[in-house]
Formats: sequence, C-alpha cells, structure tokens
Amino acid sequence: MELIGLLNYAVFMAIFIGIYSLLALGLNIQWGFSGLFNAGIAGFFAVGAYSSAIVTAPESSVHLGGFQMPVVVGWIAAMIAAGLIAWPIGKVCLRFRSDYLAIATIGVAEIIRLIVKSEGWLTGGARGINKVPRPFGDLSYLYSQLAYLALVIAIVFAVYWAIERQISAPWGRMMRGIRDNEDAATAMGKDIKARRLEAFIFGAAIMGLGGALFAHFNRSITPEAIDPMIATFLIWIMLILGGSGNNRGALLGVAVVWIIWSASEFLTDQLPTEYAIQAKYMRVFVIGLLLQLVLRFRPEGILPEPQGVSSRTETKTFQKQESAAK
Amino acid sequence: MPFMEFVNFYLMPGIVLGSIYALGAVGITLVFGILRFAHLAHGDLATLGAFAALGVVTIFGVSPWVALPVAMIFCAFMAIGIDKVFYDYLSERPKIIVVMSSLGIALMLRALVQVIWGVDTETYTRGIVRPENYWGIRIRDREIYTIIAMFAIVGVLWVFLQKTKWGKAMRAMSDNPDLALLSGVDNRKVTMLTWAIVGILCAASGFFLGINTELKPLMGWTMLLPMFAATILGGVGRVEGAVVGGLIVGIVEETSVLLIPGEYKAAMAFAILLLILLVRPTGLLKGKVL
Amino acid sequence: MSQSVIEQSVAENIELPGYSGKPILTMTGVRGGYGDADILQGVDMQVSEQEIVVIVGPNGAGKSTAMKAIFGLLKVRGGSIVVNGTNIAGWKPNRIVQHGVCYVPQVDNIFREMTIHENLEMGAFLRKGDISDSLERVYTLFPDLKERRSTLAGNLSGGQRQMVAMGRALMLNPSLLLLDEPTAGLSPKYMEQIFEITRNLRDAGLSILLVEQHAKQALAFADKGYVLAAGSNRHEGTGQELLADREVAEMFLGG
Ligand SMILES: Nc1ncnc2c1ncn2[C@@H]1O[C@H](COP(=O)(O)OP(=O)(O)OP(=O)(O)O)[C@@H](O)[C@H]1O
Ligand SMILES: [Mg+2]
Repeated sequence: MELIGLLNYAVFMAIFIGIYSLLALGLNIQWGFSGLFNAGIAGFFAVGAYSSAIVTAPESSVHLGGFQMPVVVGWIAAMIAAGLIAWPIGKVCLRFRSDYLAIATIGVAEIIRLIVKSEGWLTGGARGINKVPRPFGDLSYLYSQLAYLALVIAIVFAVYWAIERQISAPWGRMMRGIRDNEDAATAMGKDIKARRLEAFIFGAAIMGLGGALFAHFNRSITPEAIDPMIATFLIWIMLILGGSGNNRGALLGVAVVWIIWSASEFLTDQLPTEYAIQAKYMRVFVIGLLLQLVLRFRPEGILPEPQGVSSRTETKTFQKQESAAK
Repeated sequence: MPFMEFVNFYLMPGIVLGSIYALGAVGITLVFGILRFAHLAHGDLATLGAFAALGVVTIFGVSPWVALPVAMIFCAFMAIGIDKVFYDYLSERPKIIVVMSSLGIALMLRALVQVIWGVDTETYTRGIVRPENYWGIRIRDREIYTIIAMFAIVGVLWVFLQKTKWGKAMRAMSDNPDLALLSGVDNRKVTMLTWAIVGILCAASGFFLGINTELKPLMGWTMLLPMFAATILGGVGRVEGAVVGGLIVGIVEETSVLLIPGEYKAAMAFAILLLILLVRPTGLLKGKVL
Repeated sequence: MSQSVIEQSVAENIELPGYSGKPILTMTGVRGGYGDADILQGVDMQVSEQEIVVIVGPNGAGKSTAMKAIFGLLKVRGGSIVVNGTNIAGWKPNRIVQHGVCYVPQVDNIFREMTIHENLEMGAFLRKGDISDSLERVYTLFPDLKERRSTLAGNLSGGQRQMVAMGRALMLNPSLLLLDEPTAGLSPKYMEQIFEITRNLRDAGLSILLVEQHAKQALAFADKGYVLAAGSNRHEGTGQELLADREVAEMFLGG
C-alpha cells in the first residue's frame, strides 16, 4: 500500500517533470539558443491546452466543442495555435532589442488570460473545459499513469532530438551567432529576422504542446491551472539554473527545480493553517531569490553550454572586430 | 450620449487613471533611457509603495496624505537597495540579464507584500466618497489631487532635469553615456539618483491607484503593461512623452468600454503598444529605440 | 627614439634634443585591446609642452585605440602612460579628466539632445563654482556657437558639431587635448578652420595629440608626427621630416 502510494506519487511527479521539460525546451530554443526573452510562457501554454481540449472534447452546452478529434490532432492543433499567436508578436517585436519582446509577451499572456476568463462560449469561463479525453485513460489507474508517462517521455525525447538536430545544423550555428551579437545581427538584415521569427514560433509551438499534454493529463483545463507569473517564472528558473543553451541542462534544471518546488510545498503543508498564505508566498519569494543567486554566482547554470560550439565572449569580440574593421 | 456624460463617466476617469500611469511611465522612461533596460519590477515596486503607505496609515493612524511622503522615501531607498544588492552585479553583462533579474524582483516584491499584508483587498479609508459637482463636472476631491499631484511631481522633476547640475548629468547619461563618462560624470551617482527618483515615482503611482481604487497585491503588476505602453507611446527617454502617453493610454482604456466589452479594457494598452511599435517605434516625441 | 631614452628622460626630467618643452605625455610600450587580443602591440609616444603631435596611419591601425588607452577606456596590459609626471595607466576616465587631459572621441562626441550651452556645461561638470570664464573663452574661439547657444547640438551641421565637441573638451582648461579625427567628413573650409583653431590653442599653451586622416595638411603644421600601423610605431619625426620621407609618403600619405 505504502509502496504503491509512493510509486503513484513518483509517476505523477515524473509526468509533471516531463510536461515542464517541454516548456523548458521550448524556452531554450527561444532564449538559450536565440536570445529571445519570452515572459509569457503561461500564455502559450494556455493556448495549447485550450486548443487541444476544444478540438478533442465531446459536445458541451458550456463551451465550443464536440469535434471529438483524435488526441494527436488536438496536439497538432495546440502547436499550430501557439505558433500562430507567436507569429504576429514576433513579427512586430523582433526588430528591437529583446526588452520589447519581454514586455509584449507579458501582454500576450495577459490578453490570453482575459480571453480565457471572459469568453465562456469558447473556453467554458471559470468552469473551464472538462472531459478532455486522456490517452490510455480507460486502463486501471496506475497503468494509465504509467502509459501516459511513457507517452510524455517519448514526446520529450522526440522534441529533444528534433532540437538537437536543428541546433547542430547551420540553422543553429547561425542562431547562436545572432544571439551573441544582436547589433551585428540587426545590421545584417532580413534573413536574420526570419531566423529569429522561426525560433520564436518553434519554441512557442513546443510550449503549446506542453499545454496540451497538461490538459489531457488532467482531463480538464481551467483558468486556475494557469497562474501566469509563477508558471512562467518557474520555467525560467529551471532553464537558467539547469544551463541555458544546453538541452540536457534544461532537463536537469526542470527536475531539480520541480523537486525543490514540490518538496517545499510538502514542508509548508506541515505548518499550521494560519500561516498557509505566508508560507505559500515565502516559497515564491525564495524562487525569485534563487534566480538572483544563479544569475549572480552561476550564470552559466549547472550544465553550461558546451564550449567550442560557441563561447559567448569569443564570438562577441570576434564579430565586433569584424564589424569595426569594415 | 450627452457631452457632459462623456466627460464625467469616461474622460475624467481616463485622465485620473492616465495620471497614475503617467507617474509610473515617467519612472520607466528614466530607467529605460538612462540605465537602458526595461524594468519589469516597476509595477510591483508601486504595489510595495502603496502598501507601505497603508502600513503607515494603520500603524500611526495618520491620514493617507501624510503617509505618502513616507512611502516615497521608503520606495526610494528600496529601489536604491535593490540596485545595489541585485542589478549592480549584473552591470557588466548583457542588459537583458538585468531585465530577467527585474522579473525575479517583481515576483519577490509581490510575494513580500503577500506575506506581510496577505491577499485580501485593502483600502486607505472606509466609506464611499461622492463626487462633487463643479459646473457640471462631477469629480471627487482625491481625483483632483491625483491630477494636480501628477503634474506637480513631474513638473518638479522637469525643472530638476533642466536646471540642476545633476539633472543635466542624468540627461547627459541618457543621451550619450560614454561621453558623460568622459566628461567626468560618475555613473554610479547618476544610477543611484535615478533609482531614488524612480522609487519616489513608483510610490506615488501605487499610492494614487490605491486611493482611487483599492489595494491589491496584483495592482502594480496589472499596471505594468499600460505603463510600458505609455512609455513607448511617448518615446523612450522622454519625460514629457511619458506624461502624454500615460494620459492617452488612460483615456483610451476608459473610453474603450463604449466600443468593446469592459473585460477587455486591459487589452487596450497592449493594442497601443503593438500599434506604436509597428508604425512609429520612436514614439510620439521621438524617443530612443533600443 | 628608443624606449629607454624616453623612460630615462621622464625619470630624470631631461629634455630630449630637438623637442621644445618638457614632456606632458609619455607613452612607453603600451599594449592593450578590447577583448583578449592586443590591438596595441607596444606603442611609444611623447607629447611635450605646447606641441601639436599628429598620429597618422591606415584605417584600423589602432590610432583611436591608442587614444582610448590613454583615456582609460580599455584595459592597458603593459607599458606606462605618464602624464605630468604621474603614471595614469589604469585610472578611470573621470580621474584622468581631473588630471588635465581632455578627449574628443572620433564619433558620438556631443550630447545631441542637449543645447550647445548645456554641452559646454557638461564639459565643465567637474568644476565647482563659476564657469563663465571658460564659456567666454570657448565662445570667443567658436563665435558660431555663441549665436546658437540654445540650439540642440543634434541639429547642427557636421562642422558645428565638431566645434561643440572641441568646446566641451576645452571647458576644463586641460593641459593636454586629445583630438580624434576632428575633420573627418568636413568641408575644406571647416577643416581649415578646425586646424586654425588647433594651432591657436597650441600657441595659447596647450599640448595637443591629434589623429588625422588629412595627413599631409596636418603634418604640415605638426611639431612632431607618428606613423602607426598594425598597432605599433612605424615612423616618427617632425612633421616636415615625415612629409619628406619617401617611404612614408608612398605607404601612408597616398604617394
Ligand atoms: N570597440 C571595439 N571592440 C573590439 N575591437 C575594436 C573596437 N574598436 C576598434 N576595434 C578594433 O581595433 C583595431 C584598431 O581600431 P581603431 O579604431 O583604433 O583604428 P583607427 O586607427 O582609429 O582607424 P580609423 O582610421 O578607421 O579610425 C581594429 O582592428 C578594430 O577592428
Ligand atoms: Mg579611429
């Protein structure tokens, strides 16, 4: 009994780690490899979750639905929807320094939150979308969990492999070049804008997929599931702590931060209830502080970006000299 | 709709809200222009200022107006402290890293407010204040004070920037940081001074939002987008632009409910932001583009 | 001139033959660069009292870099930079300014969004008290500026901007002025005017280190010149000597 409970919990955790891994990998494409600051991860996550839910859920009097498409179609829809949202934002903001993108993505997440809350006909409003089908959902509990975990792991690996391939291709080398010298990049013009836009959309699509996996795992999606700031922020700290620019670092970061985050919840749950609110927000405070410490003392993260592929400082001076010599 | 109705229910609230945004946007524009990064913790610093004033009101039982200067000074020191403890160590790194750090600070400041004051909605004073009628314009005293205070604070800042030695140094730093350094300006002093001013402005905008509506831990964060929209609309680095931008964003938000559902009021700032980036990234008054 | 002679002359304050006054600036074996690579590979230079010293050399030779090195804008990894008897290598710019050295960079050398008057005030930032004497002096040197004192510097023509930049640097009454290509992109009329002012400043007692692309014109009135190439000294001599040197003429002055 004890053991089964523990196993259940471990599987549950592992599935979450898998879903967060997708978000972190998506962010790694945007920030780690391309230097694009996305502060609205929760927004792309939500778009993916709701899109897939709407496409696959049965008929409902509350929200749009009844298409009952296969889950795979839902996931593809999630990626397309998240990518479609990213496209105009990237189009407008990628011409400028990443600060502008940060602000705009905060805005996108905010607007998506508003839409989710106010357009009940589409999203079910506060009640959200329930009865989202879950692959292997009719197996017994533990087997169903295990099967879903296997599925999540398979997807994470597929995405990981796709990114690794893309990154070692000329596309990836170019992206890192752009990241390391934004000035030269903007001067070099159009092609680079297109590359950055691709990276932004690609990353957003993967975040959307993460959202979809979440919705199907939970069998429902509600506005509560998306706390914009904390969700976004957790992904950031996962990537930075793990090592941005390094996919394995990203995965490691997800595991480490998720375990710290959950363990701290476990700890604060032991406190008397009158401190519940304080404890909850102390955890948030500590996560914020953790980011500051990592930025200051170990900016390259636990697993730094492999040298030789690209050392940030070297390329930087090299390119400066080149551009100054012109 | 009769003209007076438009003025009383849309325009005046817009100007009041716009004044609050303007106070925040001026601070953002100073950081953006002089220190050259988007300060994402700006809204939450305003929240802290608003709650600090609440703390003074509850502990000492004074009027909120007495608490305001205390909150301003407190926020000024907080801003300087945050810079010294966090941002300053990242000054050699790409600016975007400081932006990221400021996102973390935003979260920390908000968590701090939630730990100290909880998550409930608070107010400075109880009871409903009815608007007075001045020649057909219905407006509450506190709304008048908000508008006056905004112009007074920004006016003082304006004179400081134009006339004083250190004000000029701040403008020089914003204009051409390398040359300012060559002229002997100590950028650490300018940075400190900037943060002090930013803290004061944050406290003011948080306080006035609080006194005109209510205090919530998320109040500042939701102001962040309109404040940035106002900054970029006015032109990054332009104090007078931030005021114009703030007023425009405020008025557009309040009048937008005539055309679109009220829930989407908050989306107007985002629309303005994208539009201005698309058609005129330098903003109305020709600011910087980073 | 060998390095050791310069060092010795600094140490013992000996005046070197052929040079008029006592040395204001002596750079010896200066090495440094922006990243890890050295752009300057051991540069020697000397400017004495009331001298115009001109640096010429091809694009990318390191002329601007040498000036930045003097002014503490990049890391100096070797050698010494002695100004008025003190080694200032490694000092911060604002300390160097107080030590009597002012610098007009090659680009971005004005505050565009400030008026001419404010630009000059910024030049005197480190001075306490009344600055009207310096203002008066600069306005007499550049009468054009006085008329337009409340114009934004960014709205001026190239020549006028250069005057604002020089005016700003003169506000602290420096003993040594570094000018990096002040005539780049200017019409011959403005160029003559800038050169004229430069000579007048020297005659008024200033020492000037001048980087110039208009090498022939500049060497003609220079007290001394250095040819810099690939980060190190190639030739040196009085202006006239360099102009007369066949190799210098062929390689660096365009025949
Ligand atoms: N900020 C910088 N970062 C890195 N390298 C630089 C930088 N500025 C200049 N360089 C490099 O240093 C070398 C010397 O440049 P410098 O500007 O000193 O040349 P210069 O002699 O002044 O040329 P010009 O006549 O074009 O002004 C060049 O190879 C240049 O590419
Ligand atoms: Mg040069």
